[in-house]
Amino acid sequence: MFVRSLYGDFTRTFSNVLFAVVLFLIWGVLTLIGVIVDQGKDPAIYFQSYAAPLARLIIRLGFDNIYHSPYYVGIIGLILLSLAVCTFKRVIPARLPPLRAVTIDKIPLHATVTVPGNPESVRERVERFFSSRGWQIRKKEFGGTEWTFADKHNWARRGVLVAHAGFTIIAAGTTLYWAKGFSGDAAIVTGQTVSIPRTHAALRLDHFSYTIKPIVTKSGMIYQPIDYVSRVTATGRDGVAQAATIRVNHPLNIDGTLYYQSSYGFAVRLGVTHDGVRAPGLSDRTYLSGDTLTLPGTERSVTLAQFIPTVDRQTGQPSADPRVNDPAIDLQVFDGGQPAGEALVPMKSWIDVGGGWRITPQRYFLVSGLQYRYDPGVALVGIGAFVLLAGLVISFYFLPARLFIRVERAPAGATVGVAAMTVKGYDIFEAQFAQLVGQFAEAT
Amino acid sequence: MKMPLDEVLMIVALGAYVVSALALLVYFFSREEWLRHLAIPLAIAGCVAQFAQLLARYEITGIWPLLNLYGSLSLFAAVSVAIFIIFAFRYNLWFAGGFVIGLAAIFLAYGVTWNEGTMPAVPSLQSYWAKIHVPLVVSSYAAFMVSFVISVLYLVKYYVGGTTGGLAYQTPQGTRAGAWFDAIPSLAQLDILIYRVVAVGLPLLTLGIITGAMWAHESWGAYWQWDPKETAALFSWIIYAMYMHLHTRNAWRGVRCAWVSAIGFLSIMFCYFGVNLWISGLHSYKI
Ligand code: HEM
Repeated sequence: MFVRSLYGDFTRTFSNVLFAVVLFLIWGVLTLIGVIVDQGKDPAIYFQSYAAPLARLIIRLGFDNIYHSPYYVGIIGLILLSLAVCTFKRVIPARLPPLRAVTIDKIPLHATVTVPGNPESVRERVERFFSSRGWQIRKKEFGGTEWTFADKHNWARRGVLVAHAGFTIIAAGTTLYWAKGFSGDAAIVTGQTVSIPRTHAALRLDHFSYTIKPIVTKSGMIYQPIDYVSRVTATGRDGVAQAATIRVNHPLNIDGTLYYQSSYGFAVRLGVTHDGVRAPGLSDRTYLSGDTLTLPGTERSVTLAQFIPTVDRQTGQPSADPRVNDPAIDLQVFDGGQPAGEALVPMKSWIDVGGGWRITPQRYFLVSGLQYRYDPGVALVGIGAFVLLAGLVISFYFLPARLFIRVERAPAGATVGVAAMTVKGYDIFEAQFAQLVGQFAEAT
Repeated sequence: MKMPLDEVLMIVALGAYVVSALALLVYFFSREEWLRHLAIPLAIAGCVAQFAQLLARYEITGIWPLLNLYGSLSLFAAVSVAIFIIFAFRYNLWFAGGFVIGLAAIFLAYGVTWNEGTMPAVPSLQSYWAKIHVPLVVSSYAAFMVSFVISVLYLVKYYVGGTTGGLAYQTPQGTRAGAWFDAIPSLAQLDILIYRVVAVGLPLLTLGIITGAMWAHESWGAYWQWDPKETAALFSWIIYAMYMHLHTRNAWRGVRCAWVSAIGFLSIMFCYFGVNLWISGLHSYKI
């Protein structure tokens, strides 16, 4: 008994549109928090941007990663549950109102027209008039009076169902990605090959190029990137190596995983010598920004902070020009973990880092930053989105309406009483109803 | 120096809007029919000049002016006036014209301040999707601007006390403040007008978000990245989804729906400007 009443309360609440609106409101508020609070940043950033108690709150409540938080997933889960309950309890059972006799004057949208002719012929004219305008006609007798019922767009009652199904399909598609999909980044140095985790693919970067255009604007010189192109040799599951090109907006598909051009950078080959003798292990590598080399037998380490494409000749400082003109590297030296110095070292020149160690940036290589993603849910999400859109269009543009028409004998012919009902109330049909009745009166 | 054609057309459009908006504002209070007859051709001329301006800009620069606030605000103004004109002819909405066209003129004038000259697009924006996604999203914003104006008129009529009104616009009786609002369509009809315009905006916004996701799928590697612009658009979509569900209930149609629709447009403005100007992200095209 208790369980049954609990179940009753549950279905009543979850099928209530106002409950859905409350869920939407919570969904909206959570979404907005994610717009305002930067997502996925280091905790220190929140302490920089907000007062400490607020920053602590943001981190404790998981607002720094809200879209993957239990609340966010939970609210979408509740919306889906509510959608399911309401679909079975309300949307599917919603049918055409039964054919019945009504008191025409009691329905807010009603009109009475007197036309010449006997009731039979008038009924025929009524039928012809409305069916020629796309109304589906049915007739039934109640208490000796014949009623004519005209329906339009009755099929469009299913628009809600279609929209709701669309949202559910999108949710199914995104769940499929969570269950089976993956994504990641790969930085490939020109001439090198990387194998991509979780796939059977290997990519060799044969050549990378980029185009940057300096443009003078009102606010100064801007270096606008125009194009990034990676020429790669790709080997998929079949083991066949094939040449391919990846550029922005033109991803490469290898066995269903897509590879996107996402960034670029530089790697540097350093010559490392100790007392004039080349250190082979350290010299044969290419270093990316952030890479560190530890000098053997010392407490010292050297980090490649950054590759600088162009050093301003006059100031000797890095310039904003991202094209490679006068390249240099920014090296940071640490002693026992503590910063011991920093220097800008032009290519091919060298720097002494103490203890007889000397570092020479010898060559630079372009690095292509790729992003890869395997998402088996994309097709479902796409289909769901268009189904949802179709549901919206059906619901908005096809108004299911019913006319109740009664023809009665009158002294000068017949009176035609018409009343209208729609699934969206009366006001929405007011103008159209007046026009329809006007046309009918004119036609007869 | 000779002024380029696109700038001439922009000035023509702006001038036409300002005069048309003023005429319709005076018409709102005076019901002098000649003002309406003056304003309609001006609004149409301004709108045509704007579309011609967009084409001229493309002809001159070879780039569709869609990817910065200058271009998109100009399209926004043009489409909002276009949607308004269509609705005004269909539903006799001219009484709201002064407000809609006035707002369009303000947005257009603000957009002009963002004219930074021509810039080639960064690689991810060099896509045919720009020509599909941007106009759809901007058109949805434009529709929501029109529904916003009607919502505000609804709210003013509701609170100021204009209680009468039928299907169309009538002559005000008397001089009290509510009289002007008595003469515009009834609250019930205004509610339906809001619904009809949202019915244009929401499918457009949905399609705009879908095409944006398709573009992102092609260029960023994922159809949805939870980037601030995307999520702000989702937020607006949620508000209008709330509106749509509230509107299915008799008891909630009317003033509550008008509030939600008005707030919906504020969220659109936040998505349009707030995110571009205050919150950066992949999408932010502020230079
Ligand atoms: C994000 C998900 C949802 C979408 C996209 C959606 C879409 C729609 C659409 C397009 C309509 C037609 C509105 C109109 O004709 O003006 C509608 C109506 C409706 N929706 Fe939803 N909906 C969603 C979630 C929900 C939820 C969670 C419920 C749960 C109660 C719900 C219950 C209803 C009901 C009861 C109607 C009205 C049926 C009627 O009386 O005409 N919807 N929905």
